[in-house]
Amino acid sequence: MNRTTESYIEIINLSKSFGSHKVLDNINLTVNRGEVVAIIGPSGSGKSTLLRCLNFLTRSESGEIKFQNRSWSLNSEGKRYKGKKYEKSLSELRSEVGMVFQNFNVFPHKTAVQNVELGLIKVRKMTKNSAREIAIKKLEQVGLGDKINQYPDKLSGGQKQRVAIARALALEPRVMLFDEVTSSLDPELVGGILEEIRRLANTGITMLVVTHEMGFAFQVAHRIVFMDSGKIVEVGTPDEIRNSQEPRTRAFLSAIL
Amino acid sequence: MMSNSNYKFDWNVIEKYWPEILKGLIITIQISLAGMAFSILLGICLANGKLSNNLLIVRISSSITELFRSIPLFVLLFWIYYGFSLKFNFALTEFEAGVLALGITGGAYMAEVFRAGLLAVPIGQLEAAYAIGLSKMQSSMFIIFPQAIRIIIPPMVNIYIGLLKGATIVSVIGVSDMIYVARYVSLETFAPFELYSLVGIIFISLTLSISGFVYLLERKLGRSKVDG
Ligand SMILES: Nc1ncnc2c1ncn2[C@@H]1O[C@H](COP(=O)(O)OP(=O)(O)OP(=O)(O)O)[C@@H](O)[C@H]1O
Ligand SMILES: [Mg+2]
Repeated sequence: MNRTTESYIEIINLSKSFGSHKVLDNINLTVNRGEVVAIIGPSGSGKSTLLRCLNFLTRSESGEIKFQNRSWSLNSEGKRYKGKKYEKSLSELRSEVGMVFQNFNVFPHKTAVQNVELGLIKVRKMTKNSAREIAIKKLEQVGLGDKINQYPDKLSGGQKQRVAIARALALEPRVMLFDEVTSSLDPELVGGILEEIRRLANTGITMLVVTHEMGFAFQVAHRIVFMDSGKIVEVGTPDEIRNSQEPRTRAFLSAIL
Repeated sequence: MMSNSNYKFDWNVIEKYWPEILKGLIITIQISLAGMAFSILLGICLANGKLSNNLLIVRISSSITELFRSIPLFVLLFWIYYGFSLKFNFALTEFEAGVLALGITGGAYMAEVFRAGLLAVPIGQLEAAYAIGLSKMQSSMFIIFPQAIRIIIPPMVNIYIGLLKGATIVSVIGVSDMIYVARYVSLETFAPFELYSLVGIIFISLTLSISGFVYLLERKLGRSKVDG
C-alpha cells in the first residue's frame, strides 16, 4: 500500500452544532496521503457529520479543514470564507473528494452510464464521447459492464451502490468518503461492496470510511478513529484499538463484536 | 325571450358558422396558452420565494399567493382591464388583460404545484449532485427539476384545463374568443342552444384529449420513479 507520511487532510479544532446540540466538539485529525481511516462509534456520535464537513455538505461553525495545506475554511487573514465566489470554488474541492452515501442517491432519471458521465461533462467539461468512454470503463471496473444503459429502478441495491461508487471514481478524486455504504443493502450484497472498497484501498487512494462492519474496518483500515458524543475518543492502528484500555472504546467494541 | 315549446333546432347554423367558431377557438387556445406561460413564470418565482431561506421573502411570497388565489377571475379581469388601462392610463389590449388575469390566477396555483414538486425530490439527490461538484444552478437544472417535473406535470395540466375554461370569461371584456363568437352569431341566428352546445362539445373534446395525452405521458415518464 502506498501510504505516505505526507499529511493530506488536516481537520483542526472543528466544531458543529445543530441548534444547541453540539454534534462535533473540537475535532482534530490528520490523514496522510494514501491512508485508509475507518471511523467507528455509536449511532449519533457525529460520524456522518464529520464526513459531510469534509466536502462541505455540512458547514462547521468553527475550526478549519485543509487539503494539502490549502485551507478551505479560512482565508489568509484567518477569516471564514463565505459568499458566492467561495460557494463556486467548493465545486472544485467536491469534484476531488468523492462521496458515497448510505442510500445510494443515484439519479433515478438517468441511466447508469449517464449517472457516471454527468460530472465528467458538466464539471470536468469533457466532450460527451470521452466522458462516456471513461464512464463505461468505470462501470466495468465495478462489475456493471452489462448494465450501463439500465435505469436505477431496474438495478438491485448493490448495483445502485456500484453505480454511485463509479460515479464518484469517474472524477478521479484524491479522497473518497464512504458513509455506511452497506447499511441499507441486503446482507447477501454487503460482501460485494466491501470487496469493492477493499480493492480501492489497495490503489493508494486516501479514504475515510464510516462503517458498522467492524471486521472490515479492522482488516482494511490503517488507522481507526473511535468517536463518541461528538468527540474523537481515540485514534490508533487496528491493533491498538483492539487492545485499547480506554473504557468507552472497550465498551463499544465488546457490545458490537 | 323564447319559450322552450317553440324553440326550433337549427343545426345548419353550425355548418354555416363553424369557421367563425374555429377562429374563436384559436383565440381561446392562444389566450389560455399565453396565460399558462405567464402562470409558469409567476409560479416559479413564487415557489422559489416560498422555499427561500429568508423568512421575509417566504412571508411575502405566501401572502401574494394567497391573495392572487382568492380574487375571482372575473373581478381580476375587470380590475386589470378597466382599473389598469383606464385609471393609470396604461393601455392594455383586451387580449393582454386576459393573459394577465389568467396568468395571475394560474400562477398562484402553479406556485403550490412547483413547491410541492421540488420538495418531493429527496434532499439526498441534491447532496449527491453537490458531491460530484455540480453548482447550485446545474444541480437544479440537471437533477432536481427533471425529477420534479414528473410530479408537476399532472397537476399542471389540471391547472391548464382550468385556465382553458377560465378563458371563456374573457369575452366579457370583448376578447373575441369562442364564447364571444357564439354569442354574437346567436344574436344573428337565434340558435344559441346549438352554438353553445358546439362550444361545449369542443371544450369537452379538448379537455379529454389533453387528459388522455397526459395519461400517456405519465406512463412513459413513470418508467423511472423518484427515489434513489
Ligand atoms: N441536519 C441536522 N439537523 C439537526 N440535527 C442533526 C442533523 N444532522 C445530524 N443531526 C444530529 O447530529 C447528531 C450526529 O449525527 P450523525 O448523523 O453525524 O451521527 P452518526 O454518528 O453518523 O450516527 P449513525 O451511526 O446513526 O449514522 C445526531 O444526534 C443527529 O440527530
Ligand atoms: Mg451516520
